[in-house]
Amino acid sequence: MAEKRKFKKRYCKYCEAKIDHIDYKDVGLLKMSLSERFKIMPRRLTGNCKKHQDLVTIAIKRARQTALIPYIIDRKNVVENPFDILR
Amino acid sequence: MNHYETLFVVKATLTDEERNSHIAKIKDIVEKNGGEIVATDEMGIRKLAYSVEKQTRGYYVVIYFKGQGELVGELERNIKFNEQIIKFLTLKYSNKKELAHFEKLVSNLTSTVAPTPAPVEKSEEVTASVEA
Repeated sequence: MAEKRKFKKRYCKYCEAKIDHIDYKDVGLLKMSLSERFKIMPRRLTGNCKKHQDLVTIAIKRARQTALIPYIIDRKNVVENPFDILR
Repeated sequence: MNHYETLFVVKATLTDEERNSHIAKIKDIVEKNGGEIVATDEMGIRKLAYSVEKQTRGYYVVIYFKGQGELVGELERNIKFNEQIIKFLTLKYSNKKELAHFEKLVSNLTSTVAPTPAPVEKSEEVTASVEA
């Protein structure tokens, strides 16, 4: 029997929204490709296409450098609502 | 002439006057070195995602400018000397797609500053399409 799919059928959200450039200052866009601990989600889980995954990784790394999003969330400096930072 | 974008974060503990003088200094450097500031975006005070130099908040400013490559070196050198600026990042917009995005960002900013000319043009376009 075929293995059951753990995630829904995937599609590239950026392609759907017809975005051709991802700006690192636009944190709302980056949020789609971040896990709850602010890791970059792999393409096999988000369904992003190669083109947009490449754009988004660069943008996320830039946003991290400028302290717009954290590098990591761990037990040392606990944040109550991690996604509040993005607002 | 290349297209650049510089983001920098000024300490939020400063008074408005001090902060404005620091921002004016940076803009001065760009203009003195043959650059042309196209637009500025002051994002205001934001919470930093992690503490930088024991600061938890910062005042974000983005400047979009055109200029020669040497200008960037000079600008970054000056920003490094300034102890009130805790973070900075300069980007170059080179290929066609990026340039289109640059123009879009700038036009968004300038239209919010001067809202009167942009809507008029839009309404004309709409009427033209209706007539056609």
